[in-house]
Amino acid sequence: MSFREKIHWVTLVTMIAAFGWYFLAYPWGIAASPAGLWASAGMLLPVTVAIIIAMTIASAWMAIRTPAEADLKEDERDRSIHYRGTHYAYYPLVVGVWVSIFALFWNAGPAVQLNLLLATVVLAELTRIGVQLYLYRRGWHG
Amino acid sequence: MARLPFSNDIRTLRFLAGEMTQAELGERVGVTRQTIAAIEQGKYSPSLEVAFRIARTFGKPLEQVFGWDEESG
Repeated sequence: MSFREKIHWVTLVTMIAAFGWYFLAYPWGIAASPAGLWASAGMLLPVTVAIIIAMTIASAWMAIRTPAEADLKEDERDRSIHYRGTHYAYYPLVVGVWVSIFALFWNAGPAVQLNLLLATVVLAELTRIGVQLYLYRRGWHG
Repeated sequence: MARLPFSNDIRTLRFLAGEMTQAELGERVGVTRQTIAAIEQGKYSPSLEVAFRIARTFGKPLEQVFGWDEESG
């Protein structure tokens, strides 16, 4: 498994754990009130810090273990895989934006809108990373 | 998965070149070991530049490294 693939696995697991906790622990009962926004802010801070710390530690640990692989530049296959992953991530992004637009007309509170946008970004990121990991495992699309 | 319409003799050429490893070939060509493995297995179609670099590494013309597969092409 290449260094880049390992980093993708770490990102996938970290994002699922961090945002899984966020969406499960979020106090949905107050989402319609102004306090819902502050709850989001208060929870996003540890989520962001946790992701940064986990990614930094994992990247450093893997770079120390396999320095030669960590120094390798992204090659044409890596770039192709990244482009394909980003391409597929565009679809959930578009759907999420449209759902958020409709939510505006349904008088969804700001915290609900924020969480919708957040879920959209998380879903798009998970799609991007998931597709890239699938292509790395498969070799490429052929 | 769709099969690529061409095959290659990279594995044989590596063997003949003093059992060159995939990592060594990748280093010379400028791609990762995983990319060389994917090319060898017919899972990844390299760019023309990388194909030429591989051929030049073995001192062979392109058509002696990569061959068009008439059946799937």
